Amino acid sequence: MNIALIFYIIGRVLQIEAVFLLPSCAVALSYGEWQGWVYLGVAAAAALAGQLICMRKPKNMTFLTRDGFAAVSLSWLVLSAVGALPLRLCGDIRSYTDALFETISGFTTTGASILTDVEALSYSSLFWRSLTHWIGGMGVLVFLLAIVPMHGGTHMQLMRAESPGPSVGKLVPRVRSTAKILYLIYLGLTATEVILLLCGGMPLFDSLTLSFGTAGTGGFAPKNTSVAGYSPYLQWVITIFMIMFGVNFNIYFLLLMRRFRDVAKNDEFRSYLLIILTSVALIVWNLIRSGTAIGMAFGDTLRHSAFQVASIMTTTGFSTIDFDLWPELSKTILVLLMFIGACAGSTGGGLKVSRIVILCKNGLNELRSYVHPRSVRKLKMDGKTLDDGVSRSVGVYFFTYMLIFTVSLLILCRDGMNFSTNFTAVAATFNNIGPGLSLVGPTMNYYSYSALAKYTMMFDMLAGRLELYPMLLLFYPALWWEKGFSKKHL
Amino acid sequence: MLKLQKKKPDGLKIIVVGCGKVGSTLVEQLSREGHDLTIIDESAAIVENLSTTYDVLGLTGNGASYSLQKEAGVESADLMIAVTGSDELNLLCCTLAKKAGNCATIASIRNPDYTVERRFLRQQLGLSMIVNPDLEAATEIARLLRLPTALDINSFAKGAAELIKFRIPKGNRLHEKTVAEAAQNLQCGALFCALERGHDLSIPSGSSVLREGDQVSVLVSAKDSRSFFRSIGVPTHQVGSTMIVGGGRSSYYLARQLLEMGINVKIIEKSAKRSAELSELLPKATILNGDGTDEQLLQEEGITRTDSFVPLTGIDEENILMTLYARRVSQGKVITKLNRSSFRDVIAQLDLGSVIYPRFITAETIVAYVRALQNSIGSNIETLYKLFDDRVEAAEFFVGPGAPVNGIPLSELPLKDNLLIACINRGGKILIPGGSDCIQAEDTVIVVTTHTGFHDIRDILK
Repeated sequence: MNIALIFYIIGRVLQIEAVFLLPSCAVALSYGEWQGWVYLGVAAAAALAGQLICMRKPKNMTFLTRDGFAAVSLSWLVLSAVGALPLRLCGDIRSYTDALFETISGFTTTGASILTDVEALSYSSLFWRSLTHWIGGMGVLVFLLAIVPMHGGTHMQLMRAESPGPSVGKLVPRVRSTAKILYLIYLGLTATEVILLLCGGMPLFDSLTLSFGTAGTGGFAPKNTSVAGYSPYLQWVITIFMIMFGVNFNIYFLLLMRRFRDVAKNDEFRSYLLIILTSVALIVWNLIRSGTAIGMAFGDTLRHSAFQVASIMTTTGFSTIDFDLWPELSKTILVLLMFIGACAGSTGGGLKVSRIVILCKNGLNELRSYVHPRSVRKLKMDGKTLDDGVSRSVGVYFFTYMLIFTVSLLILCRDGMNFSTNFTAVAATFNNIGPGLSLVGPTMNYYSYSALAKYTMMFDMLAGRLELYPMLLLFYPALWWEKGFSKKHL
Repeated sequence: MLKLQKKKPDGLKIIVVGCGKVGSTLVEQLSREGHDLTIIDESAAIVENLSTTYDVLGLTGNGASYSLQKEAGVESADLMIAVTGSDELNLLCCTLAKKAGNCATIASIRNPDYTVERRFLRQQLGLSMIVNPDLEAATEIARLLRLPTALDINSFAKGAAELIKFRIPKGNRLHEKTVAEAAQNLQCGALFCALERGHDLSIPSGSSVLREGDQVSVLVSAKDSRSFFRSIGVPTHQVGSTMIVGGGRSSYYLARQLLEMGINVKIIEKSAKRSAELSELLPKATILNGDGTDEQLLQEEGITRTDSFVPLTGIDEENILMTLYARRVSQGKVITKLNRSSFRDVIAQLDLGSVIYPRFITAETIVAYVRALQNSIGSNIETLYKLFDDRVEAAEFFVGPGAPVNGIPLSELPLKDNLLIACINRGGKILIPGGSDCIQAEDTVIVVTTHTGFHDIRDILK
């Protein structure tokens, strides 16, 4: 492994984090909070550490696939470890484990919280918590690629390791320009949401933090009641933006380039919208039939259903109502949506719609091969033939995903909570959603889990955000040391 | 805090169709120079491999299909380079791109039938340039056979100046002389630009000492090259005879050029059919039907007595073995053609003499064109050669009016270390500069340096 270059990248990541810590100081200043000094101190320390690491420029510039993956997962670990410091140091969260859980939950855009009373937090911490969603949504290394020029192969390896989805599509020939375009779209959409929320009469602080939460499909809200306390207009705005941030960002690029035909051809995008519409319709029907919606106008039922579906499907995790009280069918639909997740190339988590589409098509193909054993049929996606390697890797991905899920579930069961709590806790963290059902439902939190369970969920969150393999690779011995090979060239 | 790199002129948008030997070499060089590259190839594996190694956008499919070209962004592209194995596909690619995107186009054409008509094709189809890798290789070999002492020749200023690399022979009069002393004894203007001893490479100053066995690069005006070798005591004449092994397209082009120069040509070709074809095409040459790796045949045909030997088979290993054999038994000039570019360090140690890589020659020609195209957009490099395994760059700059170097004697310019102003081309006249000469506007200047990434004459200053 090219340790020197990986260190250099981590150093740069630290510097970027330092810059992102500064807005919290500004927030502290405007609310007159002393916690701003803590944020300033951590920012200064991170900047200094980053500068020290980057002093030594790496000479060897060869950067292999494994280096890219290791650099990404280590960067995320360092990012989270440092990001948790201010929360602990300013006393808003009493233990470092909890602070780390909260920060990883932030960066991985999960939104699972260990806080029993969110509103007791200082404004600077609330702001930082939400900003981590925004940074983690598009990815800090993509940001790095956009601003720091790097050597040829390094780009592609980092981009591949950090961006979600079964295959990476570049928008324009150069990674750096691609990263810039992605961040500009991201910034533009976020700004639009802030403005629309302000127009609906939401205070500036709330609109900023909620927009960050929506953009990164995170789910931290500055209020204990999540988004329940806001007007229907504001809830609709957030619903629509959640759905928008769950769309593959390539779609926006195609729209900007006026390539509407390509957008219409996109299988994933169509399936995504179809799944959302079907789920909303089913839940509305279920709520009305079961009597849960008695005393509620049809508009409100529709709004709550749409909001919850959008929130879970895009893996955001906001809520306007305690859906733990909903009938079983609705709850089950929501749990299933957790696994599907958003589109590849969006800021959302989960298995990704495109993987589900490929898995379904593969299944159909298998059926067909029993009727026509000699039939030759290549899978198609977006009107193009799908590489065999991609469809195979999707199958393997799904298996690995289930394996991690199962092991995590076993570990969580040690704590003695009921099954639906444990199951949804793993589902909600692994898929980067946030709230689950029962004891980790929308009005509850993860505080009562043991430290071991919390560390397991932290791993799940990171693995879910980085698409499993970068995190798993860290535990693969040959990455660090190969038997019989001289260590000199590692 | 985050240090940004010095701003370079924006890259061109280039589409490369076909990622074979020439294509992949191009991708490597052009992406290093910061252009926006989109590559198209039929093989998904090649595209995948290149697009993960270099910062390029890869597409799989037929490069001559309009929809794929559109997806590659042909409408806003500056240049289309078609270097697939098929001439017709290349031509179709370029014609289409020209119509669809009105961009500059470069096509690779290998078939001799079309090569005769290249001018007509170029004009009628509106191509910017036609390259022929076999012909380029042949021309390079012919140039070396004209001046057999040289290991490598790079031409500048449209052929008016040459950068010649050679090894100082045993017992030569340059041995133990400083560069300044050596220069005094020359009868023509020449400048020592680079000096390689063992693995050490330097840009020599006046006090550097030359030794026998050193490899040196010298810049001279093209017409003086022969008199330069005479004055250092290595009289050099064009070879009188050449033995070529392999009767492929480059052999054909080479034989034609050599015959025109009055050189006796023998070609050894394995296939009887191809031998017959060649004898029809080249009536003046001696065509032998046989295996060039047959020692006895080579002996019979006089490998020990021939002035030069050029193995041009399609198999690198055979070429290398034949070269090693020829260097053992003969005193003649040997030039080896290699297709693959791996293990270059090992090959450098084999002491093969002159080695020709057609893929690099062709890529260099195309890259030179790309630079010229970029000139109109900001950069001022006319030609750029990478020498001594990419460790030295020789770049030719155009100097515009108002450049900060104009009118100042060279000795007073604050030049970077390890950098030499080797030659000034003033309106076609080649000037080997001394400390009191000045650069003027409209000159082109050749700079030899171990730095890389120069874009403007300004970059030579500290």
